[in-house]
Amino acid sequence: MALDSAGAAAAGEFIRAANPTHPSLIDAHYEVARAFNMVNVPTAVWIDEEGRIVRPNEMAFADNRWIEYTKFDMTRYLEAVRDWARRGAQSPYVLDVKARRTRLSLPTAEHALAAATFRLAEHLHETGRPEAAVPFFKRAQALQPDSWCFKRQAWALTDAEKYYGTNFQREVKALAGRPYYTPLDLGG
Amino acid sequence: MASVSVTVLLPDRAVTVTGEAEGEDLWLTPAELARAGGWELKPEGLCRDALCVPIPPAASWVRNRSGDLKVDVTGLSRYMGQPVAASPEYAVWSIGPAAEDVADRLRSLEAPDFTLPDLEGRAHTLSSFRGRKVFLLAWASW
Repeated sequence: MALDSAGAAAAGEFIRAANPTHPSLIDAHYEVARAFNMVNVPTAVWIDEEGRIVRPNEMAFADNRWIEYTKFDMTRYLEAVRDWARRGAQSPYVLDVKARRTRLSLPTAEHALAAATFRLAEHLHETGRPEAAVPFFKRAQALQPDSWCFKRQAWALTDAEKYYGTNFQREVKALAGRPYYTPLDLGG
Repeated sequence: MASVSVTVLLPDRAVTVTGEAEGEDLWLTPAELARAGGWELKPEGLCRDALCVPIPPAASWVRNRSGDLKVDVTGLSRYMGQPVAASPEYAVWSIGPAAEDVADRLRSLEAPDFTLPDLEGRAHTLSSFRGRKVFLLAWASW
């Protein structure tokens, strides 16, 4: 599922190149991102046969090309996914109910307002008023500063230097050692 | 006050309504209110789906000027805990779901259902995968 305001125009080339056998969806209005309160990509959620969340939002790369950011050997994560695929509820990586609840990303009132504001900004941008969208994107970013989605999507739609006075590298540097991704805790 | 045509972005769709805008307030007739968020005016109050909310006697978001009943959808939404962002300049209002409702749904651990299109425009619904495990992965081109 691609989180991309520009929809197929932005995500299409990646989907065509990967040519996946699984459904590959486009969340152009961050509808699912909002429902799960996702703040970055890649983010994965494990959902069992009954539609229950058994591992909430967590960073999920398929390989180690970004290990500088992930600080985690993702081959271990892939093994966990395969174990779950094989053994289902018997997999030790299926979290108990208490751990699932503890790990949920729950939105606050500020987050909900951030999402509504981001939606407004997206709409202004896609209906041909990109400059009017900028203050609303900025407000959404200020309301939920831990959302890299709100930052990076807004920057990608325009000239980040010109309208936001920043870029990704500088923002990552500003973390000053704090992790870019919430550290992965496989459990199990 | 002049009537304006306003785009209202709701959690799952966008609608166009006609109303009167005063700053971020958006005053709608009961008929337009029903379109902008599904609220229906009934003797017991404002109702949406199975939920009915009595209108507080001092509600600043309801006015009745000589039988001309209007509801300010911004005030009503905020009263219901729903976030509202508005651009009166461009006549766009965005009304999101209440944080508590989103959080409660997640706490139930039942994955929030959704329907999204693929590249060919075919719709896929999460709940149609019942009986199979779903590895839901969010990525982005940015």
